Amino acid sequence: MPMPTQDPKRINASPTKEFFIYMLTRDIPLTRATLDLVDNSVDGARRMRPNGDFNGLWVRVELDRDHFKIADNCGGIPVDIARNYAFRFGRPKDAPLTPGSVGQFGVGMKRTFFKLGRHFAVYSTTSTSRFDMDIDVEQWKSIDHPEKADEWHFEFRNVEENLPGVSPDEIGTRIEITQLYDTVSESFGLENFLTRLKQEISLAHTLSMDRGLAITVNTIPLRHEPARLFVSDRLIPAFVEKTYERENLVGQPGAPVKVKLFAGVAERSLHDGGWYVFCNGRLVIRADQTSTTIWGPVHDMRQYHPDFAYFRGYAYFDSDDASLLPWTTTKTGVDVDSPVYKSVQQEMIELSKPVLTFLSNLAKEKTAFENGDSTDRPLEQAIQSAEAKRMDVLTVTPTFVAPQPRPVPAEPKMQKIQYSKPIVEVEKAMQLLKVRTFTAVGEKTFEYFMKYEEEE
Amino acid sequence: MADSYRQINYSLRPAKAVERKMICEAFCRLYPFGKIETYRYVGFGSIYFSDFQLFHRILGMNDMLSIEKDAYARECFEFNKPYKCVRLDCRPASLVLPELDWHVKTIVWLDYNSKLDETVLSDIGSVCARACSGSMLLVTFNVHVERDPDETTRQEYTAETGLPFNLDNYRLRELRKRLGDGLPLEMRGNELRGKGLAIISRKVVNNRVEEALSARNSAVPFEKKLVHRQIFNFHYSDGAPMLTVGWIFFEAGEQYKFDACSFNELNFVRFGEEAYAIEVPCLTMKEMRHLNAQLPQGGVAAVTLPGVPPSDIERYAELYRYFPTFAEAIFT
Repeated sequence: MPMPTQDPKRINASPTKEFFIYMLTRDIPLTRATLDLVDNSVDGARRMRPNGDFNGLWVRVELDRDHFKIADNCGGIPVDIARNYAFRFGRPKDAPLTPGSVGQFGVGMKRTFFKLGRHFAVYSTTSTSRFDMDIDVEQWKSIDHPEKADEWHFEFRNVEENLPGVSPDEIGTRIEITQLYDTVSESFGLENFLTRLKQEISLAHTLSMDRGLAITVNTIPLRHEPARLFVSDRLIPAFVEKTYERENLVGQPGAPVKVKLFAGVAERSLHDGGWYVFCNGRLVIRADQTSTTIWGPVHDMRQYHPDFAYFRGYAYFDSDDASLLPWTTTKTGVDVDSPVYKSVQQEMIELSKPVLTFLSNLAKEKTAFENGDSTDRPLEQAIQSAEAKRMDVLTVTPTFVAPQPRPVPAEPKMQKIQYSKPIVEVEKAMQLLKVRTFTAVGEKTFEYFMKYEEEE
Repeated sequence: MADSYRQINYSLRPAKAVERKMICEAFCRLYPFGKIETYRYVGFGSIYFSDFQLFHRILGMNDMLSIEKDAYARECFEFNKPYKCVRLDCRPASLVLPELDWHVKTIVWLDYNSKLDETVLSDIGSVCARACSGSMLLVTFNVHVERDPDETTRQEYTAETGLPFNLDNYRLRELRKRLGDGLPLEMRGNELRGKGLAIISRKVVNNRVEEALSARNSAVPFEKKLVHRQIFNFHYSDGAPMLTVGWIFFEAGEQYKFDACSFNELNFVRFGEEAYAIEVPCLTMKEMRHLNAQLPQGGVAAVTLPGVPPSDIERYAELYRYFPTFAEAIFT
């Protein structure tokens, strides 16, 4: 509705509820939107246990064609936070920070509510307060009379503060979304969707699950694979740790960004090779094989290639001020223009180079061995004798360590020739030359030509 | 290595022959959706064209397309085409299927010899995306789970994973290589033992059908939404264990036609996870004639045959109508 303007120079730029309900929700895939609510629970766990031991904490996700529900025992949302911050669209400047939080944009939770359905309810209990709310989105949207144009508030159905002696079993948050949109309901009914959702949750929160957080989807506990790198006395992953001061990044003092980088080799897998980027423990890029990280001519590097299927790089960005981290609002990628990422990207490239050289040499060694040009395979042996170890128990060095390839013997430089001829003719040549292999046919015919045609 | 059709004479595989005839009998029941002779048949005829021969002779189908990926042997396939109505397309199914006109009611039988992989899933997706109401899709593939591999493969496993060799984990890794992320996250390698691979494979292909139809249905009114019903889930083995899963697709508004097909009256039809195992007893011609004379019979306990175990008699009594007879003959 247009505002009745007094000032003819005034231009209306106020947001509409429809923008949040129908537009913002288009920017995020369904699995990721769902993951945003898991992120909130993980933040609760971080607030509750700053030491990072999440044993005993759980997040239970439940979904089917008719409803979505997520419940946790991760501390609950304090009434004051709910009243003033948690449900606002966008994070207010004065909102208290959750050190090392995963949520930081102030869009995730609401965007997920609107993306999934037309009705949502939130129940939350902390050690001292309790509230619940029950919102019909259509109704909320229609509080849109001209005189109420800025009525953006929700209302608690029940709210209690300064409670004495809340039982620890009651503490936590429960969110229920119903009246799902048809497309959402359809997806929630598909097993393949559930498989993907489970995979994404498990990948995104591997670190938190490793610290004891138990996540279930439709009562099935999610499994996670902690990251591992190959290590032995001859093969040692590279590790670099750096701190970026907030002052240098945004011109104001405050919490710094700490970065840890690992590069090395791990299980050979074309699909899993590449760089992994985490922000405050949350995976934002998985097995990147593009120029977003280190690959391709933009960075004067080779494109990702099957020879590099052993390669793994892990970048962990951590900060108490989550706004400094290089993630996008959907947490599906990195903001490649963020100052901290640009700087770290250079490090990632340099750290990767020795690993990629090793892997190229490994491929050459294999070819030489298969062609009979060499008899031993020191690089292959180094890989074979290494052991896959978790990142927290790794021996590391500032630069990747691996055996050097055997020096190429000082022989004339060779060139391979390849051509195809009808099999009948080749077999005939084989008979005439009295040899048994096609390779020999090629060599002998070439020698024959050189013997008679080479000028003295 | 010679092509598989030169190693095995496909027309002599008894369990496959039984399966083919059972499937043919089920096709006869498609009439509520349309005359079966107006259906198109798309299959992998190889050089034997056994399925094409049966469906042309018994069902009168005459719009038939055989897909053959081995373009080098085109002449050989052309020569072996049993009828003029059989057309041949020597390209991979992944290229042929997207080019077909799907307004025709079609029975597609993707009868692979290989194992389930992403190509198979993609071909399933192609059919589900376009097939019209009343059409059917059958998929057959190998469900042989890897045996303990040789020392070189074990070493390779250790080198590639950095872990000591473990047969269950090796099998799971091979399956993940073939299927990518299509497998449930919580799956463990030991679930692949025995019939495990077949059970999981059926689930994977069924999920793929469900997913493809869901995408297709997202923008159509309820009565036009294409639903699927599994009707075949055969386990059989003529050497290698094989799985055939088959579905019929129809618009939700045509449920009554599906009901009229009465597929449930056929004892080999399976609507869910439970499979129908085709186990063919090994009998001589004389034994078969002797049993045939006593069949059909309410209780098979009364059927007798000296020296043959009752379990074989029971199996034969179940299959005899579909039983293949192989005889040596001299054509002059």
